[in-house]
Amino acid sequence: MTTHDELLDSVAAYALGILPANEAAEVVAHLRTCQQCEREYRLLRPAVTAVAYSSEVCADAASGAAVASPLLKARIMKRVRADAERSARRTSRVWPAYAFAAACLVFAIVTGLADLSLKDRLDRDQARSAQQAQTIADLMAPDSKRHTFAHGEVLVRGQRLYIAMHDMPMPPKGKVYQAWTMTKGEKTVKPSMTFMPASTGMTVVQLPEAATTLAAVAVSIEPDGGSLQPTSKPIAMVTL
Amino acid sequence: MERVRARDAAAFEALYDEYHRLVYGLALRVLGDPGGAEDVTQAVFLKIWDSPALFRGGNFGAWIARVTRNRCFDVLRSRAVRAEGDFPDAMPLDDSIEDQAIANVDGARVRDALAQLPHEQREPIELGFFGGATQSEIARQTGMPLGTIKTRIRTGLRRLRNVLEGAVTV
Repeated sequence: MTTHDELLDSVAAYALGILPANEAAEVVAHLRTCQQCEREYRLLRPAVTAVAYSSEVCADAASGAAVASPLLKARIMKRVRADAERSARRTSRVWPAYAFAAACLVFAIVTGLADLSLKDRLDRDQARSAQQAQTIADLMAPDSKRHTFAHGEVLVRGQRLYIAMHDMPMPPKGKVYQAWTMTKGEKTVKPSMTFMPASTGMTVVQLPEAATTLAAVAVSIEPDGGSLQPTSKPIAMVTL
Repeated sequence: MERVRARDAAAFEALYDEYHRLVYGLALRVLGDPGGAEDVTQAVFLKIWDSPALFRGGNFGAWIARVTRNRCFDVLRSRAVRAEGDFPDAMPLDDSIEDQAIANVDGARVRDALAQLPHEQREPIELGFFGGATQSEIARQTGMPLGTIKTRIRTGLRRLRNVLEGAVTV
């Protein structure tokens, strides 16, 4: 068994990123419980960053130093600008579409309640209508905070948090989309709701968690019924 | 990064201008060829553009340096230069411990600071960080006992930090 002093000796190598995976895992586990080693790690990490910066190339090509080709930047920015323009066009048309999708969803739920008494149906209709109005208002509000990812956005307004996605393929048979939340101050995600896209490939879901308590939201594809821990790589991950 | 997350191309360009010399320089040092370094630089920046949420806060320079180094070792693995198991573990990207303590880090200043380290401390640090050698491999390559290598790396990093902070060296 590795002693504390041996682990302390390995902290510098871990900070430098030169430990094999098995030894690194042992140091990581130890750092979680040992303040002395954790202090040592905090002390050394800036020096490791400095080592990385020692390879930074000179800004002055005229000096004869190695520099990246200007064509490299041109290639990267061509792709980035094209993406940004597509994203801007999509945003301008997709939020009204999200609002329409939300309205259709609520309408479908309301019309499906055929077995209830007339009063119950009226009460539920009113509640659903209020929810629908709230959702649409939030989706369209200019003061809502939006966090974009590849096929959608996470939208926050006050305590309410929505995941709106478009161009979503149907998940494989027996699978669903599942949302995950990470509470502020924590390092692991908790399972939230599962959902499926509409036939249009679009969906809007409101998570039950209060937005102000959350640090991050993610979406992954999971077995039907949902998972307690993610079993696949997230298709979206947003830091709030 | 907030603006990059909002798909702001101008903000991304500013980020590129600020950090591409670090990314390209590090990739060039690890891979040793300009073409490979450009490929890694492009891959790193487009990954940031495509998945900005991967950065969870803290010192962006420290984070992008770790992303770049990990990517370089992926490239070396794919070239089958060495067996995968020979490489050290990927550097952690998701912890919140931060590297703000050393202000105004730039290549020239750090190179000067590294040059102040005794050779026996600088050598294992550079073999490990840029060469991807584990501490056991460094011990074999230099013919020194593993315990000596550990001590030299630790002392060297502490000394480097102190030099960069302008403190009295250990």
